[in-house]
Amino acid sequence: MPKLARKKKDLNDRKRKLSTEGRWGFLMVSPYLLQFLVFLLFPLVASLYFSFSKYDMLNPPEWIGIENYTTLVQDPVFHKALWNTLYFTLLFVPAQTILALLLAVALNQSLKGLKFFRIAHFIPVICSWTVVLYVADAILNPRFGLANTILLKLGEKPQQWLSDEALIIPVLVAVAVWKGVGYMMIIFLAGLQNVPEDLYEAAEIEGAGIWKKFRHVTVPLISGTTFLVLVLTTITTFQSFEQIYVMTSHLGDVTSAGGPNNASMVLMLYLFQQGFSFLKMGYASAIAWVLFIILFGITMIQLKLQNKWVYYEK
Amino acid sequence: MNRSCKLGLFLLFSMVLTLGLVGCSNESSSDGKDSDEKVEITLGYYSSGSADEKMEELIDQFEEKHPNIKVKTQNAPYSQFFQKLDTQIAGNNAPDVWLSDGVLVSKYAERGAAKDVSEWIERDLNKDEYYGLDFNKDANGKYFAVPQGIQIGALFYNKDMFDEAGVDYPDDDWSWEDLQEAAAKLTIDAEGNRATDSKFNEDAVNQYGMTFFNITEGWMPVLKSFGGGVLDEELKNSVIDSPENEEAVKWMVEGMEKGILTDPSDLQSFQSPMSPFPSGTAAMRIGIYARVLAANETGINYDVSVLPKGPDGKRFAPVIANSWIVNNNSSDAKAEAAWEWVKFWVTEDDVQKEWAELGEAVPVKKSVANSDLFLNSGENKINKQAFLDSFEFAGTLDTNAVWSEWLQKFNDNINRAFLNETSVEEALKQADKEVTKVLEDFYKK
Repeated sequence: MPKLARKKKDLNDRKRKLSTEGRWGFLMVSPYLLQFLVFLLFPLVASLYFSFSKYDMLNPPEWIGIENYTTLVQDPVFHKALWNTLYFTLLFVPAQTILALLLAVALNQSLKGLKFFRIAHFIPVICSWTVVLYVADAILNPRFGLANTILLKLGEKPQQWLSDEALIIPVLVAVAVWKGVGYMMIIFLAGLQNVPEDLYEAAEIEGAGIWKKFRHVTVPLISGTTFLVLVLTTITTFQSFEQIYVMTSHLGDVTSAGGPNNASMVLMLYLFQQGFSFLKMGYASAIAWVLFIILFGITMIQLKLQNKWVYYEK
Repeated sequence: MNRSCKLGLFLLFSMVLTLGLVGCSNESSSDGKDSDEKVEITLGYYSSGSADEKMEELIDQFEEKHPNIKVKTQNAPYSQFFQKLDTQIAGNNAPDVWLSDGVLVSKYAERGAAKDVSEWIERDLNKDEYYGLDFNKDANGKYFAVPQGIQIGALFYNKDMFDEAGVDYPDDDWSWEDLQEAAAKLTIDAEGNRATDSKFNEDAVNQYGMTFFNITEGWMPVLKSFGGGVLDEELKNSVIDSPENEEAVKWMVEGMEKGILTDPSDLQSFQSPMSPFPSGTAAMRIGIYARVLAANETGINYDVSVLPKGPDGKRFAPVIANSWIVNNNSSDAKAEAAWEWVKFWVTEDDVQKEWAELGEAVPVKKSVANSDLFLNSGENKINKQAFLDSFEFAGTLDTNAVWSEWLQKFNDNINRAFLNETSVEEALKQADKEVTKVLEDFYKK
């Protein structure tokens, strides 16, 4: 049976080839694998271990079981931080997504000076938060700021934009939208440019106006992009730290960040404060894991829901 | 050699390489056995711009004097420095000697990161010759650091503003009540009315009688001179909820309500809470010695006096002794070499003088602090003696291992009282509760 023998030989050859290929493949990815082990897996496992221990960084960690987590459940500041983070996200994600989409649609026309406007909207994205803070201060400064000057002109009472418990999160969201909208706008622009022109033409022949074209052609065709934007924005909001750290560390004193009266304390800030300012690394690790689980959950839900509304062109 | 053998060799090689790299980072903890041999120490300090060059110069001088010691430096801006330091201590590769903010000494001492240098101090230093040694002493009388330079608080006042208002300059007799009376005459609103006028508008103040914020240059000296404070002598229990504190905080809130003291929201209008005095928006401030630099820079006509006394005649000047800490984990040889640096810093007159010329801190060595070089230096002749006199009634900021944590709780609550969001009694009660919890979490477990 020469035919069968050859087949067998062929199979063996392929197997050998595969295994050397596999080895080479393994070798090729080994730098990445090493990087993954050292910089991702190890810290991940370490932080999980720390989250079950009392660890002040200066002394070795001491195993205390789930105590950090039970403390978290009863910690009023943690509750507040959790709520503030959700509140921030609920305001920020829709505001930024809708605004970015509208801007992208507006700047996707063929108009004169379009590049200028695109760049103008992108500038805040490149600026560091410290720079943004200075610009924001020109508007929000209680004494010299533009906002209060206008309020006074209108005969209204001036506001303490950054030291009013009720105002602080909306104000921070407004500034964050101003800084971040340009980036999402660029992503939307890329999505918009992939919508085939002939679909609009077809819609026009059917008698669709601007709104109908937007609603029935643009929105479904860029739903993939919208999904990406939503996921990215949600994740960055949960991780928002720098802005709040810079804008609320009142009176040059960083431990005061998150004020007034913890009204702007968000999870990342609380994690940083507990870990690095107060040396409670174990507790901070527990916060990090809770944050991870929440984010993971939300992203999973978003992924599940995408089947319902995201349209991918086959 | 077949393929799998080559592959194995390659993997082995890369593992050796990785282990080698990991090994390198632990090198600093290895021992330098012989004292005649060259010892290399790492010295860490937080940068403060102009002072860096001088520090490098002094290190060069030190190396010349101690040819067997080689100094490697590590520096970073203030907040990065301490973040990095904590991680380094965790990884057991912190500098052998580092400069610590005075308020953080107990944080390192009580967690075992700072070496107990009591014996060395007994052996090599005559304690009477130095300012501030005792501010680093713990409750058991042990020393964990040696001051590098001292910050001590006094009352800064703008002479031009006092002259214009026809108010006498502050003197040793002033109480906090006198201060508030004078401050009222020095406060001016947008229309030019003084706080003593009935037409005065406290919502639109253009010139404050006194700027006031934070612990050191705000509430702590007032609390203490009224007989109150935050922690007891052991620094392990809160004494916040006391009638003395209540009286002191009421004095502050009253001043803020009238608009003659800056409240936290007033200060938000300024780029920095430090700026109202040097920029000429406030007639007085409580200031540590380093504030002389900013005041000189803007060229205002000012002087300093000791801080006012409380109702019972008690005085208090806040002290921050920024200090050298020797790493508790360094090998003996390295620790000895690090101590040589500390000794060089505090005992050598030249070093003390050169550092004093920068004008950043009161020199540690008394003889230098009391010399002309310190007292009469600079173009602006101010009463620097007031800083030295203040040592008689000086104290720390109740610093302990969890200082920054209790401070945050206290600030949160007292700021609410300052902004009239809660009553003084309520704020102190709440602060007492929260601070007690912080202390118990750390000390009683």
